[in-house]
Amino acid sequence: MQGSRNATKAIEFKSGTFSATTAIIRDTNAMHLADAMHALLGGRPDFFAGEPAILDFSQLQKLPERVDWPGLTSLLRRYRLQPVVVRHLPESLADSARKAGLAVLHGDESLKTVAPPPAPQTKAAPVEPPAAAPAPSIPSTPKGSMLLDRPLRSGQQVYARGADLVIIGGVSNGAEVIADGSIHCYGPLRGRAIAGAVGDNSARIFTTALGAELVSIAGVFRTFEKGLPEAVAGKPAQIRLVNEANTQQIRLDPLVLS
Amino acid sequence: MKTVVVTSGKGGVGKTTTSASICTGLALRGFKTAVIDFDVGLRNLDLIMGCERRVVYDLINVVNKEANLHQALIKDKHCDNLFVLPASQTRDKDALTEEGVEEVLKGLEHQGFDYVVCDSPAGIERGAVLALTFADEAIVVTNPEVSSIRDSDRILGILQSKSRRAKEGREPVKEHLLVSRYSPKRVEEGEMLSYKDVQELLRVPLIGVIPESEIVLQASNQGTPAIHLTGSDVAEAYLDVVARFLGEERELRFVSYEKPSLLKRIFGGA
Ligand SMILES: Nc1ncnc2c1ncn2[C@@H]1O[C@H](COP(=O)(O)OP(=O)(O)OP(=O)(O)O)[C@@H](O)[C@H]1O
Ligand SMILES: [Mg+2]
Repeated sequence: MQGSRNATKAIEFKSGTFSATTAIIRDTNAMHLADAMHALLGGRPDFFAGEPAILDFSQLQKLPERVDWPGLTSLLRRYRLQPVVVRHLPESLADSARKAGLAVLHGDESLKTVAPPPAPQTKAAPVEPPAAAPAPSIPSTPKGSMLLDRPLRSGQQVYARGADLVIIGGVSNGAEVIADGSIHCYGPLRGRAIAGAVGDNSARIFTTALGAELVSIAGVFRTFEKGLPEAVAGKPAQIRLVNEANTQQIRLDPLVLS
Repeated sequence: MKTVVVTSGKGGVGKTTTSASICTGLALRGFKTAVIDFDVGLRNLDLIMGCERRVVYDLINVVNKEANLHQALIKDKHCDNLFVLPASQTRDKDALTEEGVEEVLKGLEHQGFDYVVCDSPAGIERGAVLALTFADEAIVVTNPEVSSIRDSDRILGILQSKSRRAKEGREPVKEHLLVSRYSPKRVEEGEMLSYKDVQELLRVPLIGVIPESEIVLQASNQGTPAIHLTGSDVAEAYLDVVARFLGEERELRFVSYEKPSLLKRIFGGA
């Protein structure tokens, strides 16, 4: 049986990591979730790009008797998010999750998540082992910067891992820029901009002409279906996180370039 | 030799119309020019060029070495220095390979062609990618509407990532924006985006604006590229595009709407 080495390789297993979005689910009622997602994402069906998702139940508000898994997964899929794994799920619900085709992770089984797009939530809770006490900020010191000297077009995505991102030429609608540090965009910023992607809440976003569909800093994000505030729309702007009434909020300010 | 792709992402925006007029315009300027139809499966460049009855061999025959370039190139009926390489009507799309296209282009260069114009199929899949892979310059045809702009934006991204120039880290493909099927009247009435809006959204240098006109249909029925219909606004606009492509300065024409004068309104007619 020699010489057919490749023929026997119909499948091969390798270990590896992949990037995923973490959805922290605090309420399992599908109706409540549908409302919350609509409010956050404006009913945009293509908000996520078919990314795999980890459903995290570490912050469940109350233990439900059962969970409507088909309802939950199809709701997430409607926004093109593909749930694959659940974690920190109360034991009583684990069996039903497995039956629904989801992998069940317990405790601190570490899942390396890289390049996390914003999780649907309003509080700063970036992807991090939830076992740790809610740290106010992950001390991440971005090293250096990544330079992109062409416009980023619809459907393209760039991730500056552990760095700031500098873009010359602008970001189109439907494109996505992600940085662990800050984002500096010379040219119109029209797509999605995600700064402080692993939790640096001092990261900022700068642009010479703001037209973003979404901005996010350290997991706190804001969308603009109803348009941007007039003071910053199409103008130089700075975006950062501020503490207001004990919650972290995205703040948009005009940037005066004299 | 320079390879120019005419592309758009979206279908039916005027790529073939534009390819036919631009290759003709370059030939009229004295350049030895070839135009290749990459729309495998849907033959239409040859109809627009009026050479459909003389198609014997096509691009895939050449790629598969069933015919040589010399046999497959069809001499244009108007210009001696213009040649058409038609698409296959029947073969399946996978017959076209990157190596095959590269061979064909090398062959054309060897034969002393100055310009090769590649008429891309719609979409952002394989066929469209093959058409732009070897481009030195790209004419991105866009209609003044949101879906067309979005698709042009996508194809510009693909140009940046999938072209040979990009992959080899050479000087990027030179991009030109061509706004087509433009109606100054509808822009005036607020029903259509202006060419300035389109350019602002795509941020690519504008090479011209082609007005919407029934001349285009008339030309295609005759199997004559619209640029030959001298005196028509479409032909003039394409002549300007070719001039700008060659580095000449031309003012934009046919972009503003003049309300018919009172006399015209009363007495009608031209
Ligand atoms: N400037 C114009 N004014 C009016 N009609 C036009 C104009 N340009 C193109 N058309 C018409 O639009 C239709 C599509 O044109 P054309 O075939 O050139 O587009 P295409 O982008 O090559 O399409 P496809 O994606 O199918 O290859 C044709 O019917 C053509 O006659
Ligand atoms: Mg065509």
